[in-house]
Order: sequence, then structure tokens, then C-alpha cells
Amino acid sequence: MSTPAQRLYEELQPIHPPPTSFWKKYVFSIDHKVIGKQFLWAGLVFLLVGGVLAMMIRWQWAFPYRKLPVLGDLLLPDSGGVISPATYQAVFTMHGLIMIFFAVTPVLIGAFGNFLIPLMIGARDMAFPKLNMYSFWTFLVSQGLVIAAFLTELGPAGAGWTTYPPLSTRIGTPGIGQSLVILALFVTGVSSTMGAVNYVTTVIRLRAPGMTYMRLPLTMWGLWLTAILNAIFIPVLGSAGILLLLDRHFGTQFFIAGAAAPRGGDPILFQHLFWIFGHPEVYIMILPAWGILGDVIPTFARKPHHWYRGTVASMVTVTVLSAVVYGHHMFVTGMSPLLGEGFMLFTLLISAPSMIIVLNLVFTVWGGSPRLDTPMLFGLGTLVLFGIGGLTGLLLGDISMDLYLHDTMFVVGHFHFTMAAGSFVGAMTGLYFWFPKMFGKRLDERLGKIHFWFTFVGLLFVFGGQLLAGYAGQQRRLFDPFQYTFIQGLRSLNRWTSYFAFALFLGQLAFVVNFFRTVFGEAPAAGENAWGATTLEWATASPPPFHNFDEIPVVVRGPHELSNPEVARLTGRDFAGQGEPLAGAPAPAGGEA
Amino acid sequence: MRRIPFAALSILAASRAGAAVLPERGFGLPRDVSLDGRHIDSLIHFTLIAIALIFAVVLAMLVWSVARRGRCASAAYDPGSRRSVFLLLGGVAAISVVVDGTLFVRTLEDMNGIFWNFSGAEANPAAVRIEVNAHQWAWTARYAGPDGKFNTPDDIVTLNDIRVPTGAPVVIQIASTDVIHSFYVPNLRVKRDAMPGMVNGLTFQAQVPGEYEIGCAQHCGPNHYKMRGILTVLSPEQYRDWLATAGAIALRAYDPDDASAHWGWEWRSL
Repeated sequence: MSTPAQRLYEELQPIHPPPTSFWKKYVFSIDHKVIGKQFLWAGLVFLLVGGVLAMMIRWQWAFPYRKLPVLGDLLLPDSGGVISPATYQAVFTMHGLIMIFFAVTPVLIGAFGNFLIPLMIGARDMAFPKLNMYSFWTFLVSQGLVIAAFLTELGPAGAGWTTYPPLSTRIGTPGIGQSLVILALFVTGVSSTMGAVNYVTTVIRLRAPGMTYMRLPLTMWGLWLTAILNAIFIPVLGSAGILLLLDRHFGTQFFIAGAAAPRGGDPILFQHLFWIFGHPEVYIMILPAWGILGDVIPTFARKPHHWYRGTVASMVTVTVLSAVVYGHHMFVTGMSPLLGEGFMLFTLLISAPSMIIVLNLVFTVWGGSPRLDTPMLFGLGTLVLFGIGGLTGLLLGDISMDLYLHDTMFVVGHFHFTMAAGSFVGAMTGLYFWFPKMFGKRLDERLGKIHFWFTFVGLLFVFGGQLLAGYAGQQRRLFDPFQYTFIQGLRSLNRWTSYFAFALFLGQLAFVVNFFRTVFGEAPAAGENAWGATTLEWATASPPPFHNFDEIPVVVRGPHELSNPEVARLTGRDFAGQGEPLAGAPAPAGGEA
Repeated sequence: MRRIPFAALSILAASRAGAAVLPERGFGLPRDVSLDGRHIDSLIHFTLIAIALIFAVVLAMLVWSVARRGRCASAAYDPGSRRSVFLLLGGVAAISVVVDGTLFVRTLEDMNGIFWNFSGAEANPAAVRIEVNAHQWAWTARYAGPDGKFNTPDDIVTLNDIRVPTGAPVVIQIASTDVIHSFYVPNLRVKRDAMPGMVNGLTFQAQVPGEYEIGCAQHCGPNHYKMRGILTVLSPEQYRDWLATAGAIALRAYDPDDASAHWGWEWRSL
């Protein structure tokens, strides 16, 4: 009963027998679902490492010069468990790099990208399954390099996550750890590029018959645009990293100037290279989260996404504009006023499509019938927290306010609301939503809700506290902020912010317990469609078989056909799957507005 | 051989005129003691009020739509109507024009008229010119002395101690010898990176005598947190006295063999 188009796709993607040996099945697997889970595990482990580092920073700001409890003797035996200035700079540097490149990126892009893309577009696997496997193992090498950096004599990188030279050359950070971390960034970039090429190709070539671009679930749009940005801009970071390594070990002076190199290079060149990558990176990390919200929130509001085309157009606009706003990170470097003002204009412009995306989500909930299951709580939480992050960005994209706020804790609070709250809580939204599909079991709702409230309130107060501290002028990255008289009044604010951070960290235990208990223990089976969702992955078994779909589906409607009275009359359900044929079905409206 | 000029500095430090740095009260913006900081402050207040309003309205919509419907109520089959899309676009357009537009226009005025207007500041005959050399982990400042030229024997050189008069525009040109630093005086609302191999400028006009802190805002190594200097704002008379005393000491302390003390560049137009 298959259509000619289906037969063509079946021929292109024949069903292969699943691997039988343990190694081929779980370790050197080319199955996108297994690779997705491998990225998930690798990312979650480093999320813990990055979280512990964050707790060390918060401890330092609450109780400088006091012995670090629990871990002090273990991690810092030489200083009697007290964090020293040199340790501190390594701690905040590695916290940033690990969270961005080795924790959130693998979960948000590696795990969801791999697991979801073929399932959501109706394909049997990625376009290049072997490349996919290489991408993961390359990533694992980069994580190994990070661990190796921790074991070196002078410790890991200490020049800040932005790695600005000349501090990041041997003038400022002589240890081999800094080189290993730069190398790790390069290697993880290679992994991301392989993944990106694969994602872009897969979405273009392997969409099931009928899956037009305007029927793609928003998660797919987010991941696809992210992959395009990755493919274009990660190589820029890679080249900057190589030039930096040459400066460090081969005597070149690309980025060294000042007394060490009177006829030397230009430190600002590095900043341009870094931020040409670095600002798209912000969108690389938020686009998948926006996409996830774009599918999760309609599902739980039981209402089609509001103005789907507007969201898609806005996401594309953001992707294009993301490349021309990066200069707002460099307003105080002494750039030409005209250039700075141009960057400010684009920065202000990019707020419009971002607002459209957020307001579309709010309009989706408006008039819906919201069900507050854990994924929806996390989705709404992401929306609120990201909203704060986006709005506070207005103050930093503006040159005169940035004159005061640049490099203060206000910046730290702002980008944590977007990157930590937007991307991390966005990833959690996705994890709670697709967990039943990934593992075939249901997570405990009660633990999930406890986890949500600890996370939401914790993040709100921790990053809110940082915004307040920055508003009062406290610079970022200070080992002991209270050296400054004008910051001394913020001692209790910093301490309270730390208490919330510790609570936030402990609250993640609810997730760890829930996750491990469900994955490895007994839990109720999820069934095919755990949430009454409409996209293609919910029309196959949980977890899906090796070949994903017994028959390649034919897509007949947009991604959010929810609460259509006509569908209810025909099926008795309030939703219709994207690939579900209905006899005498009306012209679908979801996604066609 | 930096000892000699630094010995002179300690004499100067002993003769400090202003009161000690006062802590700030409360959580808000630090006291503004500059002529033009109010432009930044009022823009910050405008933006904070605007985003608080936007946030409150959107949050209220979200909370209302979650609260008003129970689980059983059926959702509207509504992927967006022409009306709701216009409403949304109208809201976004209004915010973009009113908020973003105000920010853009006012910032252009502020930057071109005041904060990046070095020629305007220097046109004032009373303008004070200072060169600052940032290095791990201190600020060295240089005043040109009576000859008006930098890097000559009559220069006054100070460490972590910059003095300026009230009521005159101050123009600072700043560079770094090692890594990137950032010159930051919260009470004046100014910040500018000190870049190795490059001379950057910043300008302000102080109004309230007293001692204020200079901080480093760019991570510059393990002791970044200790890179703290004092900016003393003096009355014009006090400033003149200090300049005369310091100039006399500087001439006596000048050591032609101390190459490390001979930094400084010809004043540039930025």
C-alpha cells in the first residue's frame, strides 16, 4: 500500500539487520539513537564537573580564604583545601569552557540532534552514520584532553573562557594545561563540524515524503539552523586556536604585542576571530532550545503553535543576523566609533525576531488548555528565565550603558540567564519530554517537579543576585571582590546568592536519582506516544527499533495538529500525527497560518 | 631599578589630601561623581523601567493563560489569526521603535558628544592630560609636567594614584605592557581596555572631591583582583599645589639610567 515516493525512500534507506555483538551495538555503534545517548552520558558527566566548579566559585565569593568543605582536602591538598588565586582563575575558566563546549553542547546538539533528527523527519538514520560515530569519538578525545589538562603541573587553562591573548599566550599562562585545553577546543570543533555537516545533509536529503520545510517540527528548524552556524563558524574558532597554539609553542607573534613583542601582532585580531565564532555560538546554543520549546509548549497547551511561519522566519533572521552583531562584546576595546555604532544597531535589531519567537510561544499558551506535566513546567520556566536574559541584554548591547556594565557581574547574570537558563533548562525540557522515547520508560513526575522548582527558583535567585551585584558595579572574575571598598556592601548579597547556588546544585540530585532509577530500575512503560504528541517520532515504538520506522511515513500535515474539532470527530482524539492519514480529513491548519 | 621614582611616590602618598574611599550604600548604582554619568544612569533607568514593564505584561499573559483553564477545558484550534499576528507584530514594532529607537538615538548622542568625543574635551584649555600604563598588576600614570611633553625628565609619575581636579575635562590615554587590562572607575561610569601595542582614550569630568576606586575589569592573571588604584578628585587649587610639589619631587627623583621608568608616548589625537 505504499506510494511511489515511499518506495523510492525505502530503496534509498533499506532496513539493515541490527548489530548483534556488544561492541557494535553499544560502543562503536553507527545507530544515531545510540550515539545520541552516548553524547547524553558524556555531556551529563561533564555537567557535573562544571557544576562542581561553579560551586567552588560560589564558595569563594561567599567565604573567601576559607577551607573548601567536603572536596577541599581532596582537590586542593597543597593549599590546605583553600582556593588560591591561581586555582581560582583555573576554576572559573574551566567552568565556562566545560559548561559551554563539553556539557551543554553535547546534550543539546549532540544528544538531541543525533537522537531526534532522523526520527522527526522520518528517516532510518543519519545521512552519514559512520561520520556520526567518528564525531562522537572525536568528542570523547577532546574531553580526554580536558581531563589531562587538570592533571598537569600548573593546572588547566586560566585565561578565562574567552582565552584572550596575550594572557592566554605563555606570557600569562605558561602551563601546558592551557595548551591542552586550546587543543581540546580545536578537537571538539572538529567533532562539531562533522556533526554539523551530517545534520545539514540529513535534513536536506532525508526528509520523508511530504515533509516540506514548512512542515518541519520547530526542533528540526532549531537544530538545522544551529548546524549551519556550526559548519560556518566553528572553523573560525579552530583557526584562532591554531594561531594561538603557534604563538604559544612555535615563537610566532600573531596575537602578542607590548613589551614582549614591540613589533608584534595584534591581540584584538584574536577577539574578532573569537567573537565572529562566539556570538553565533550563543545562538548555536539557544536555537535548539527555542526549537524544543516550539514543539513542547504546543503539545502541552494542546494548541497549534501560534504563527509557525513567523517563528521560522524569525529563527532564520536570527541565524543570519547572528554573524553581524558580535562587535558588542568589544565596545570598550577601542574600536572605531562608527564600527561600534553599527554593531549596536544590528544588536538592537536582532531583538525584534527574538521577541517574535518568545511572544509566539506566549500566544501559543494563550487560549490553550495547559497541562503542567514536568516537560511543560520546564518549558514555561525556560521561557521566563530566557525572557529575563533577553531583556537584560538590551542594556549590554547599548554602548553607553555597556561603558558602565561591561565585564561586571551584570554580564555574568545576563548570559547565564540566556545560556545557563535558556540552553540548560531548555535541554532539560527536551530531556523530560523525549526521555520516554529514548528509554521507553516514564520518569517519576513528583521527582521531576521537585527538580523543576529547585532549578527554576535556584537559577532565578542565583543569576538575579549576579545582576544586582553587577548593577552595583562588581566586576566579574574577582578572586576576592571585597578588596574593593565600593563592593564591601555586597558581601551579604554575594553570600545569599551562593546559598541559592548550593540549593540549586543539591536540587539536581532529584534529577540524578530520577534518571538513574528509571534508566536502570523498574518504571512504568511509556508506550508509543507518551504525551499525545504529533510529530513523527511518537508514531513508532519507544524506544524505537534499530531501523526507526517499519515503513517510511508519508507526512500529510504540519507538526502541531492539536485540538482540531474535525480530527476529534473522526478519531475521538484531540490530535493527529504528522504521518497519520485520516479519511475525509479537513485541510489541516496547524503550521499553515 | 624602579626604586627611585617609587620612593618619591611614597612621599606623595603621605601627602594625600582627600578623604579615604567611602563604601557605597545599598545595592544600587554607585554614587555618580562625574559631570556626564547622569546620561548613562538615566538611560539605564529608562531601560530598566521599559524591560520591567514588558516583562510584567508578558508574564501576566503567561500566568493568566495557565491559570484560567483547567486540564479539562478544551483548547482553541487556533494557529494564529490575522488579528493575533498583527497584534503581536504591532507589539514588537512598538517596543522596537520606542525602546530600541530611544536607546540608539540617545547613545549616538552620548558617545559622539561626550564619551568618545576626545577632541571636544581637549578643546577646553583647562583639559588635563594623563598617560596610563597598565601592567600586571598596577596602574602607572604619567603627567607631562611644565613642558607639556610626555616621557621627559619633568614628568610626574605615580603608581595606583591618579589625581584630577574638579571642573576640568580629563583625557586619559592608556596602553598596556603585558596583557589586556581594563581601566574602570565605577563612580565616573567610565571603562576602557588597556591594550598592549595600542593607545586607547577615555575622558570624563569629575565634580565631587574625594577618593574613588580604580578597578581592573578585564581578567589579567591570578592577581587581577588586586589591581586596584585610587583616583583622587581635588579642588582646582589643591590640584595645582599637588602638581607643583609633585613636579619638584619628580625632577629631583629623575634617574636617566632607569630605562624601565622611561615609557610614555607622544600625545595622540584619538
